[in-house]
Amino acid sequence: MKNLFTLIAILFVTTSLFGQAKKPTIMVVPSDQYCISRGYSMEFDNMGTKVILPDYKAALQSDTDLRLVISKMSGIMGDRGFPLKDLEQELKNLATQGAELAMLSSKTSGAGVAESPIDALKRTAKSDIIMDLSFEKKKQGPKNYITFILNGLDAYTSKNVASAAGTGQPSSAAQVEILLEEAVLAYMDEFNGRLMSFFEDAFANGREIKVRIQMFDGVGFDLEEEYDGSELSEKIEDWFAENTVQGRFSLQDATENFMQFEQVRIPMMNDKGRAVDARSWLRDLQKYLKEDPFTMESKLYMRGLGEAWLILGEK
Amino acid sequence: MTRKIQITFILLLAIVVSTNAQSRKERKAYYGSKYNVEIETLGVGNDGTKLFKVWGYGKKVNDAVFEAKRNAISAAIFKGIPAGRGASPTPALTTDIDAETKHQEFFDEFFSDGGRYLQFVNLSGDGEPKESDKIKMKKGYKVGIAVSINHAGLRKYLEDKGVIRSLSSGF
Repeated sequence: MKNLFTLIAILFVTTSLFGQAKKPTIMVVPSDQYCISRGYSMEFDNMGTKVILPDYKAALQSDTDLRLVISKMSGIMGDRGFPLKDLEQELKNLATQGAELAMLSSKTSGAGVAESPIDALKRTAKSDIIMDLSFEKKKQGPKNYITFILNGLDAYTSKNVASAAGTGQPSSAAQVEILLEEAVLAYMDEFNGRLMSFFEDAFANGREIKVRIQMFDGVGFDLEEEYDGSELSEKIEDWFAENTVQGRFSLQDATENFMQFEQVRIPMMNDKGRAVDARSWLRDLQKYLKEDPFTMESKLYMRGLGEAWLILGEK
Repeated sequence: MTRKIQITFILLLAIVVSTNAQSRKERKAYYGSKYNVEIETLGVGNDGTKLFKVWGYGKKVNDAVFEAKRNAISAAIFKGIPAGRGASPTPALTTDIDAETKHQEFFDEFFSDGGRYLQFVNLSGDGEPKESDKIKMKKGYKVGIAVSINHAGLRKYLEDKGVIRSLSSGF
């Protein structure tokens, strides 16, 4: 009897653990326009071309209005069950993480931590959904008012998944800080309503991801190689048709060396009730290509929840 | 021949009258519909609240005021609150068009006289409404009141009761 209860308890815990889809992370990032127009920018000379990039650290350290708006938005999103990733904290963490990695060594041999150039490149602040924010304080005679633009961008598909924008009521009595707070309160419900529709669509029609198939150089075959009378690219397309939700995907571009898939709808959960992301979904294609008649090695490269690459020919 | 014309005329008249009667009945049903709530946003509410003017119908002014309060909460759940005076539109709390029938028992109790919905009406001008907000109609009054509702609290309550999905549900 005791064993039966234990079994039921274990079953319950396992079900509740695997019953949830992977939760996207959200981060508020001031828009390029906001940073550059206020002088929070860095200038580079890229082989004779002047490149201006936003300096988020400078913006977050010196702009109190920006901090106020981000803090207000974080509070609201936290109440809705989506605590935001804090950009400032993320930048600090990355800086200390880099220093710690450089200092870390093995106790026995003194070896350092392995880090390829790609690993180093991947150590940047990122999230699955970016809340691209900009606002401006404006005057109309003695009255102040705020224009506010908030865009929710899917970091992988680059699609605008939710947005809210507008101009607040001009006021001569209220302080600018109060108008900023009012702007956040005025637009967040509309923004969250759209975000909710985006999530509902993902649960109904699958998560939208981007996939790239690429070849390693000099492996002796390409995507035009024939297997059982069909080209490898055709076989891959057939696999996509069978494994996407309602066969929904779009082959954006292709040559003998690459295939670029967009609007690929993958299920949020697999048959075992486990959460699926781009990497875990594409791993099944990797396994499929390892079997007969293909028997090929491949490297699976993850670019976040919503994008993965499969590079064929070698590990 | 003349008799034939007379009968045709009477028949036509009957059709017109019955059509008209039906439309009047439909109109009456439409008045009672939760989708016919008249709202005007009055501004951006404080944290988690919504501020708007809502109208209600009743035989007496007090009945109309009570119906207006019920309409305020009903609009927030089923219809959404329109944009206005610096506030952007607030979508309806339920995204399921069949929510009312699916959770009929819950809503019947929630919207009953003195029901839980009143908990989310923070502030209402339910004293004697201004003359301009009190319109005498053929069989009663149409009354407009300014209300502030606890929108965040209402959403949380409906999420906890499983009536609506939360933003993070499924994750």
